[in-house]
Parts: sequence; C-alpha cells; structure tokens
Amino acid sequence: MANLKKLIIEPLRKTNPVTVLVLGICSCLAVTAQLKPALVMGLSVTVVTALSNFIISLLRKGIPNRIRIIVQLVVVATLVILIDQFLKAFAYDVSKQLSVYVGLIITNCIIMGRLEAFALSHGPGESFLDGLGNGLGYSLILVIVAFFRELFGSGTLLGYQVIPQSFYEAGYQNNGLMILPPMALIVVGVIIWIQRTRNPEMQENNQN
Amino acid sequence: MKKDVNSNRYIFLYATILIIIVAVLLTVTALWLQPFQDRNKKNEKRISILTAAGIPDVNAKNAPLLFEKHCTGSFLLDESGNISESGTLPLFVIDRQISVIPMQGNGLWGPIWGYLAIAADGKTILGANFDHKSETPGLGGEITTEKFKGQFSGKQILENGNLVPIQFDAITGATKTSNGVKEMIDNTLEKYSAYLTRIAERGE
Repeated sequence: MANLKKLIIEPLRKTNPVTVLVLGICSCLAVTAQLKPALVMGLSVTVVTALSNFIISLLRKGIPNRIRIIVQLVVVATLVILIDQFLKAFAYDVSKQLSVYVGLIITNCIIMGRLEAFALSHGPGESFLDGLGNGLGYSLILVIVAFFRELFGSGTLLGYQVIPQSFYEAGYQNNGLMILPPMALIVVGVIIWIQRTRNPEMQENNQN
Repeated sequence: MKKDVNSNRYIFLYATILIIIVAVLLTVTALWLQPFQDRNKKNEKRISILTAAGIPDVNAKNAPLLFEKHCTGSFLLDESGNISESGTLPLFVIDRQISVIPMQGNGLWGPIWGYLAIAADGKTILGANFDHKSETPGLGGEITTEKFKGQFSGKQILENGNLVPIQFDAITGATKTSNGVKEMIDNTLEKYSAYLTRIAERGE
C-alpha cells in the first residue's frame, strides 16, 4: 500500500518529470502564459499518461517487441486525438488557446518515457498510478509556472483581475516579458533551484 | 502451443487488428462529437459578428439568441454590390442598418481574420473584431485586445464617394502583423466598395 502511494507522491517531488527529469519542457513554455490552458493541458497530459500506461501495461505481454514503439505511438496518438476532439466539442475556448499543443502531447517525452521505463515491466494497476503521478507532477509545475506568469504578465488569475486598479493608477505595469516563452524557462529554472537547494542530495557533484 | 510473439505472421496480425480497433473508435467518436464542434464554430462566428457590431456582453451561451434577435439578414453580394445567389462576398445585416463584413488576411506567422461593422451611412466604421491563428502573444497577438480593436470605431472609409486607405496606430514590435491588418482591411473594403458607395449615396 505504501508502495502504491509512493508511485503517485514521488513524481510530484523527487522524481518530478519536469524539474528533475527535465522532460516536457517545450509544452511547458507554450501553454503557461495563462492558468486556465495550463490546467487543461496538465489534465489532458495526466489522462493520456495514466491511460496509455494502463493500456500498454495490459498489452505488454502480447506486444511484438519489434513494433513495440509503433504500438505505443498508436495508443498514445489515439488517446490524444480523442482528447482533442472532446476539447473541441466541450471546451472550445481552451482548445483554441492550446491549438497545436494538444496534438503535440503525442511528442511529450514524459509519456513515451513512462511507457518504456515503467509500463512495459509492471502490472496495469501500478502503471496506471505511475502515469497518474507523473501526469500530476507535470501539471503541478505547469500550474506553478502559469500562476506566476499570469499574475505578473496580465495581472489576472484564471481571467479574473487580481491586481487592483489602484496599483495601475499608482504606476504599476504588467510585465510583458512574463507573457513571452523565455520567462517560462526562467521560472522553471527558479523552481529547480529552490527544489535543489532544499534537497541537497539531489545536487550533482561537479568537483572533478 | 505457445505463440511466437516475434513471428512475422503475428506482427502483421497484431498491427492489423490494432489499427482496425483504433480506426473504429476514432470514427465513432468523431461522428458523435461532430454536431457539438459545429455548434461551437458557428457560435464563435456569431460572437465575432455581434461584438464587431457593438452589441455588449455576447458569450457562447447567449450568442444564438442574440444573433437571432439582432441579425436581420445575411446575404451574398457579387462584385457590383448586388445581392445574388452566385455572389462571393458575404454580408451580415445587424439591426436592419449595420453592415458587417468578414475579412481575411495574413499576419506574420499565419492567417488573421476579423469582422468589420459599418454604420448605416456606409462610410463610418462602427467597430472591428480581429482574431489570429498563431501571432506572437504580447506582440501581434495584441490585435485581439480591446485597446487595438477600439481605435477603429468612428473612422471614415469613404471620402467623396472614394475609398480612403485605413489609418490606425500600429503595434510596436509587430510591424508585420500590423501591416497585415492594414492590408486585410484595405483589400476587403476594395472588394465591397461598390456596395458601400451605394449605401453611402442612399444615405445622403
């Protein structure tokens, strides 16, 4: 039981796919200018990692080794297309904001990474939890980055004005740089920095 | 008998069955969700048209109702500004007097489009609405903001029966997108000039 819990908790912290494994950075830059698309993207990636891990784990004994990557891609692509279609039907605004990035979930290294490293060698239940954990770990970073970018870049959170009008009258200005992609990288860098400072065992030894 | 998971026969069979399952799944979902997606696209268009014509607080929920109420006609115009079945220029009439015309053009990275609402006199812009596929957020992407769209209200497009090129404050750092917007508006007005001059004359 403790082991299963670890599968979900660990990727949020010590094996976080974004800050520790440094995977999925591209989409992290692209969809974090505002909180809402970041939440939807995080949710979508979580669903895809969890379900694809589960399905591949179920199939793992029957998948011919020589076409294993192709089979993985087909499963992931199917899930992504399904999510894209659902977003277009029920969350049109968000799907427009995410535009090509939903389709690009297919290329998110976290998913293929977990399939290869975990799902092919573990049972469906464990694999599902592992996918869920890694998806949530990814979402967590996305939401943190989006929180800061939207707050300082647009003065809003989830589209609602947070920074009061009186600040603007006093000369406060939104930081346009926060909206541009490089700022996401810097925020991710700061998160990694804080994480490593607090967990000294994660620091590499570079003195050679 | 244990199956050989790596025999060619098995691989082909496996791939075929997998593809068939996936194809059926995707087809069923696509057909099932099609009506919802079409409705969203239609709504988006309605919201753009109504917002350009200056109707406040249009959202995805009330758009069909408001559109029904305000849109008093949608036509196709031909080159000389007459309503005709075979025309290629769409026109939406809002509240019997405002003409809303769709525009299409190119930004820096991809297509941009929008709607232009023209007042009953045929020569004053009432409002404009823009959208884009992939302009840079914070730069070209700013064409969707109220600040940019708002400056078009009240601009004159006809002078003594002739079109005047549109003038507006471009966005700093987004020259290509701004030029794209200008080109888009000028080209569109050019195409609709026959119709516009006619309603302008009628107004005088």
